Amino acid sequence: MGEKMTQRSVWEKIAAKLSKRSLWMLHYCTGCGAIELPPTMTARFDMERFGIGHMVTPRQADILLITGYLSVKTLKRVVLTYEQMQSPKYVVGFGSCTINGGMYWNSYSTMKKLDQYIPVETYIAGCMPRPEAIIASFNALIDKIDRGEANSWKDYYKNYDFYKENQDRVFEGPIETYNDIKADAALFKI
Amino acid sequence: MNVVLWIIFLPIIAFVIGTFLLGYSRKFTARVERRYGPPIQQVFYDIFKLMNKKTNISHGWMHDVAVLMLLGGTVLTLYFIPVPGFSYFAQYGDMLVIMYILLIPSLGMALGVGETANPNGSIGIARALTMLAAYDVPFVLTFIGMAMLNNTTSMYDLMVIQQAGGVATWGIVTNPLLAVAALIALHGMLGKKPFEVVVAPHEIATGPMVEMGGKYLGIMFIQHAIAEVVEMTIYINLFLGGALNWFEYILKLFVLWTVMLGVGMVFGRFRTDDAVRFMWKIPLPLAIIGVLLIIF
Repeated sequence: MGEKMTQRSVWEKIAAKLSKRSLWMLHYCTGCGAIELPPTMTARFDMERFGIGHMVTPRQADILLITGYLSVKTLKRVVLTYEQMQSPKYVVGFGSCTINGGMYWNSYSTMKKLDQYIPVETYIAGCMPRPEAIIASFNALIDKIDRGEANSWKDYYKNYDFYKENQDRVFEGPIETYNDIKADAALFKI
Repeated sequence: MNVVLWIIFLPIIAFVIGTFLLGYSRKFTARVERRYGPPIQQVFYDIFKLMNKKTNISHGWMHDVAVLMLLGGTVLTLYFIPVPGFSYFAQYGDMLVIMYILLIPSLGMALGVGETANPNGSIGIARALTMLAAYDVPFVLTFIGMAMLNNTTSMYDLMVIQQAGGVATWGIVTNPLLAVAALIALHGMLGKKPFEVVVAPHEIATGPMVEMGGKYLGIMFIQHAIAEVVEMTIYINLFLGGALNWFEYILKLFVLWTVMLGVGMVFGRFRTDDAVRFMWKIPLPLAIIGVLLIIF
């Protein structure tokens, strides 16, 4: 599903250099991972050094940070939130729950792989990842943006059928979203 | 020709100064909290990133126009206040004009946010207009007081009088009560910390900006940077003797901004009703006493 690397124009390279310095984060903290974020943001590890700050609404945010497991109900909210965000947008899966279900592998009601439902840019492995790991992963994301490889948000527009099919299977039928992804893709020429 | 150049470049200069002041405020906040903080040009990165967004959701025609009305109203105010080297419009429009056009951005914001139909946005606008009623009464009284003291309603003349007379004729020396009242009102006007009820991120999700994303939020950031310079320049022209060269002007902006940041770091946030009550209990009587002292 990965996009083939294409030659970038000079403007796109400059834009990536500047845009990577400002990433606003919306946390979706239903899991236990939220406890690692305050030390990451405050005096000890100070995430704002890299221009990463927290934002409170999906419209303004660039990063959607999913901390911990998602159930069917919370996945629905995540999909709605993700579709409200403005592109380019990056999903960061936080903790092993988002990678393979983690300690909830045998649970009947949790999602095992987040990237089946929305495109994920980076994963942070661990249960729980320490603030050092969080900062390392955000730096990896910053490097990825700089190289022009952080294009997972385009997947959602291009392979919407794949994601929609997986979502519908979990939700047992289409959910009511407020965004027409295919019309948006045509409008913004993605 | 000179005037045309100023018209083109003044908003850009004000934007650059305002953006650096905002970046400085983030660094200042970080240092008080014992963090390292973002680089001082961080707000430029933020605005660039917002303007570079690939998708921008519009909620309708009024939403598009209102953002421009917000920016336009602020730039219009900027033209009417005298800055070093440019006071062309300030000769034609006095403080009464400035008092009127200062309200345009608030109204523009109210119209645009109304169309986004987000309840948090509506609460934010209701709070913004409530705060307008709270801080505008003392602020207008300080305008009136300074006009009566110097026998002129022109901000340019006021600046010239204060520059000619030296520090002894500065508003902050001749009438400290008005200066204090106006400083408190200025905090409310800029939405700084004790009166940060409009954009209350933990309470109403940034209020008016809740549905703004991408370029819309970028324009609001630019407007905020310019508005901050505009409103502080009004204060400087009224009470701190104005400025005749750019070094003096930027130094005064910097000092005033640092004082306001320091106040913001000490205080928490008022509730809306408490903020209005405070504005009408402390700065308003101060301003009234100040005006009465000038009359008698």
